[in-house]
Amino acid sequence: MTEELELYKQAYERERKARLAAEEVLENHSRELFLKNQELEASLLKLKTQQDALIRSEKLATLGTLVSGVAHEINNPLSFVHSNVDTLGQHSDAIAKLYPLLIESLSVGESERPAFAERVFKFLEKEDLEYFTEELDELVSDTNDGVIRVKEIVRNLRSFARMDAQVRTETDLNEGIRSTLKLINNQISPGTRLTLSLNDIPLVHCNPGEINQVLLNILVNAAQALEGQRDPKLEIISKHDQDWVEVSIADNGKGMSKEIQKRIFEPFFTTKDIGKGTGLGLSISYGIISHHQGELLVESSPNKGTQFTLRLPVKPR
Amino acid sequence: MKGVVFNILEDMVVEKGGVVLWQQLLNRAGIEGSYISVDTYEDAELFKIVHEVQQALDIPLEEVIRSFGDFMFSKLADRYPMFVEAESDLFGFLKSIEPVIHLEVQKLYTEANLPSIDCTNGDSERLVMNYRSPRKLCILAEGLIQGAASFYKTPIKIEHHVCMHRASDHCELSISKVND
Repeated sequence: MTEELELYKQAYERERKARLAAEEVLENHSRELFLKNQELEASLLKLKTQQDALIRSEKLATLGTLVSGVAHEINNPLSFVHSNVDTLGQHSDAIAKLYPLLIESLSVGESERPAFAERVFKFLEKEDLEYFTEELDELVSDTNDGVIRVKEIVRNLRSFARMDAQVRTETDLNEGIRSTLKLINNQISPGTRLTLSLNDIPLVHCNPGEINQVLLNILVNAAQALEGQRDPKLEIISKHDQDWVEVSIADNGKGMSKEIQKRIFEPFFTTKDIGKGTGLGLSISYGIISHHQGELLVESSPNKGTQFTLRLPVKPR
Repeated sequence: MKGVVFNILEDMVVEKGGVVLWQQLLNRAGIEGSYISVDTYEDAELFKIVHEVQQALDIPLEEVIRSFGDFMFSKLADRYPMFVEAESDLFGFLKSIEPVIHLEVQKLYTEANLPSIDCTNGDSERLVMNYRSPRKLCILAEGLIQGAASFYKTPIKIEHHVCMHRASDHCELSISKVND
């Protein structure tokens, strides 16, 4: 019995040793996991910070595109407004002198009339007032048109002013398309045939600033794809189908291979040269549309062109 | 209570009275008694076993708990030598319990229900330790401190006038070095 007890004791000691060894292994692994977890958390924080910085940089890039577009758009009407106002200014002295001549004419005697008339004709010829009065209506109307155009550009800018706000409202996407086009007009190649088929669509519950950012991004990409193309065409169609609104933007530019199409929504993926774009534009656009429970689709063929289709629910769930 | 405490109690009983005694105590307490160091078990189970130990040894419960604490320190030092190696003297070690040892335990075992220990220097010969725990195992703490003192070869005496068992919200353990 004593020997048997002794053997049981040895077995007990052996099992206890094995348990202690197993516990040591377990604790070491727990410690390693804990440290690895800490490293991962630190890396994640670093990545998030870098991602935030890049998204800010992308927003600044978008702002840069807008600013250059707006500057160009405003410059055009401003330059002829300036020229017209200059012309008006040049003749304002002469116009001002007409009034005293008119008053004088009321008191000119019969015998002085011929001399007075000759003086007036010479004055009119010298100041070219006949031509000026013929052109006056057009000068004023053109100037007015130019100022209205500038006002509209500023109004359109407001739709981009609150890109960061989380406010969603009932939005007319056709209006968004029109205002975005006006702001990037200068980036579209001259001679591009632009076709707008904007059908009657319901208002969409969305963040208008964010959706305009997506439209801007797609249109800028289309404009870049059309650079150097013969017979460039850009077609924008809006339509609705039950509870969905669809906007398609199609160009007949360079197009993309299937391999590139698969990757264009990836963050940082770009076909542009280093330093020309963050590669975040389409990825952010995709994110915006996803958050609106919509879809952003692309179809493309090399040398045939690309079509982006944006689908948004009229009322997200 | 973490399983390691149960394992060390078993070590103490087996060392002093053998495997058979340990099994007998578990049977009397009505407990199966399979414990792994890294898991957590009901406090009540430990108290049941300690009660059986006290009955078997027929010595006051306070003495059982205090000597268990003393024994436990040397076993913990064997299992986790990095904590004692990091401090070169007793007071340094006692001050590291909360900020170092308990922190490491919390990192690996978030459900560990550890007491709160904070130390203030009386002077170079005296340290005051404030102990807070809903378990009120201040006597076990006294035993552990004695175990640490033996490990660091620093004879001490502990005065324990403020106590949770005497209506205070914490225990104040005044630890003084004793000259040989």
